[in-house]
Amino acid sequence: MSRGLLLALVLLVSACGQREAQVHDTQLLVFGTLVNVSIWGGDKDTAVAATSAVEQRLVQMHRDLHAWQPGPLTRINHAITARKSVQLDSEQALLIRRGTELSRQSGGLFNPGIGSLIGLWGFHSDDGPHGPPPGDALIQIQLAKTPRMSDLHIKDGRLHSDNPAVQLDFGGFAKGYAVDEAIRTLREHHVDNAIVNAGGDLRVIGRHGGRPWRIGIRDPKNSGVIASVEVAGDESVFTSGDYERYFEYQGRRYHHIIDPRSGYPAMGSSSVTILSKEAIVADAAATALFVAGPEAWQTTAMAMGIDQAMLIDDQGRVYMTPSMAARVHFEIDPPPPVQIVSP
Amino acid sequence: MTEAAIPFRSIAGALRPTPGDIVIALLATVLLVVLYTHYWSGIGGEGERARIVSADDDVYIVSLSEDSTLTVHGPLGDSVIEIHQGRIRFTESPCQGKQCIHAGWLHTAGSFAACLPNRVSVTVLGRNRHFDSINY
Repeated sequence: MSRGLLLALVLLVSACGQREAQVHDTQLLVFGTLVNVSIWGGDKDTAVAATSAVEQRLVQMHRDLHAWQPGPLTRINHAITARKSVQLDSEQALLIRRGTELSRQSGGLFNPGIGSLIGLWGFHSDDGPHGPPPGDALIQIQLAKTPRMSDLHIKDGRLHSDNPAVQLDFGGFAKGYAVDEAIRTLREHHVDNAIVNAGGDLRVIGRHGGRPWRIGIRDPKNSGVIASVEVAGDESVFTSGDYERYFEYQGRRYHHIIDPRSGYPAMGSSSVTILSKEAIVADAAATALFVAGPEAWQTTAMAMGIDQAMLIDDQGRVYMTPSMAARVHFEIDPPPPVQIVSP
Repeated sequence: MTEAAIPFRSIAGALRPTPGDIVIALLATVLLVVLYTHYWSGIGGEGERARIVSADDDVYIVSLSEDSTLTVHGPLGDSVIEIHQGRIRFTESPCQGKQCIHAGWLHTAGSFAACLPNRVSVTVLGRNRHFDSINY
């Protein structure tokens, strides 16, 4: 009996000691953010090669999709302004088509064509905006030009815009696309269990050994974690929050999620978290539901095919879909009151 | 002696735990609770050390148990990092946005903050990672 107990304890201690050693964790300063690649299992050489391939792909996408540094996307925007058609490569065409479709589903609340408005607010800067906010007259001039993704047309690989005011800014879903591409790259390197976390937004494949991956969701009002969710298989967790990029001017905070209807930072939401398979969809939906706000988020979720969403409003009230409520575990005590709303 | 010849009373006596068995069983129970709490339950989750990566890809591992203030050089200037009572944070940064400072105190294993313009990052390390990744 004694020897059996001791043997069991030795085995238990050994198993505990090996648990974290099976995760290959790498941090990359790339794509304008901090990217964390966590790979469970497999050998170190495979993990290093796969992570290196992810880094190269992210560097390339950062260059190709940048909204303000001179590159392929700014060349497209210049052609639109000049009322000229422009040849697209396959990735550009794919992103414009996906962006147009997601914008249509969101009723225009997600609009990658309002680059001029975002630039007007000063968010086209590597260092972030500093204020002051733009004058209302300038905002109204931009709104009156009504840039929409439906103004764009692709024929024989060439892009034409009916509206020269459309300026593409993929900031609302480029990170999602990049995370999807990073996961695809990992799979090409035979990695089946991993997390790619780009600046807090992530996609998960497989499992952490014998258990699902455990994801903490940051509290929008504090630096701690408000809730957690277990994910396995293939799923993305994306959050749009008013704390991500912002500036303060004369005591007021102006965040980076611009409402295409008003031209001002969206009101009413503090953060929106989406669970969905494709990161590009989760990213766009998080933006759209944030803009929709506490009164209309569920309608937008339904229109975009999202059934797992959580919105925390600017008063700290929590709203969730039933499917989301079934999975989220609050990490604060006492847990906040939650309004469960069917989409 | 054959097996059939063992009296029933003798078998029962052999299975009765001795005082030594009881002590070991108690120790094992305590140890199991400690190990479960430490490794599996997610209770706690406080980081023990932090990894600081500078613009030159230099990596520094620092203990969170000793209060200190560190200066890390980057392309824009100096990032100042404070360690206090098991927590770590950026307190000064030459960047404009100050996102790294807005991230506040970090203490949970796996949490991180970075000053991208100055290319300095801080990650809290710990054997017990409560979460595999943080969404924000």
